[in-house]
Amino acid sequence: MGSKRSGPALTRRTYRRLVYGIIAVGVIGLLAGIVLDERLLGTVVYLCGAWLGAGIAFLAPWWSDTTLQDERDYDLHNRASGLTMGIATILGISIIPALYVLDAGGYVEISGAIGGAIAVLSALFLLYGVCFAIVQRSA
Amino acid sequence: MQNDLPKRRRAAELSQGDLAEAVGVTRQTINAIERERYDPSLELAFKLTAYFDCAIEDMFDPEELSE
Repeated sequence: MGSKRSGPALTRRTYRRLVYGIIAVGVIGLLAGIVLDERLLGTVVYLCGAWLGAGIAFLAPWWSDTTLQDERDYDLHNRASGLTMGIATILGISIIPALYVLDAGGYVEISGAIGGAIAVLSALFLLYGVCFAIVQRSA
Repeated sequence: MQNDLPKRRRAAELSQGDLAEAVGVTRQTINAIERERYDPSLELAFKLTAYFDCAIEDMFDPEELSE
């Protein structure tokens, strides 16, 4: 927060529009690639947009003289992350064990898509745990 | 948290943007504090009170915290 480098003036509005705009172009490029059957080109456009947008999002606050992010942004991110994990936890605890029991009993079958979703959810929890440990150690 | 930041800022004839720049935050954060939708960190509270040369308890009302 508040670290300033001497760089060109970039307003918060321009910063947000730039980041979201570049990422949106990447996503549109990916979807266009799928629709037009130019998947490789679409993927390249998407990766360029994603990396460029993420790079600007990460570097611009250090580079610009203007305060582009501050403690309230971090607070909002923290609360949104907590809410996301809370929802994921409630969904995970309330559904997944029951699903496995019903699957073992032959009442339902866990399809590949549902199995994938469970794997993604598990990976999210694992990643959160790792990030929490890193943040806790560095605090 | 209740505060008299809008009153002090207007008395000093500052815009939210001016004050934000002076204490190193965004205009939106000053606006959120004034509308009592965001409680500033201790660091920012000290910066604000130092800027207006007053004590924290003069600018922020802790009464609702003890209720």
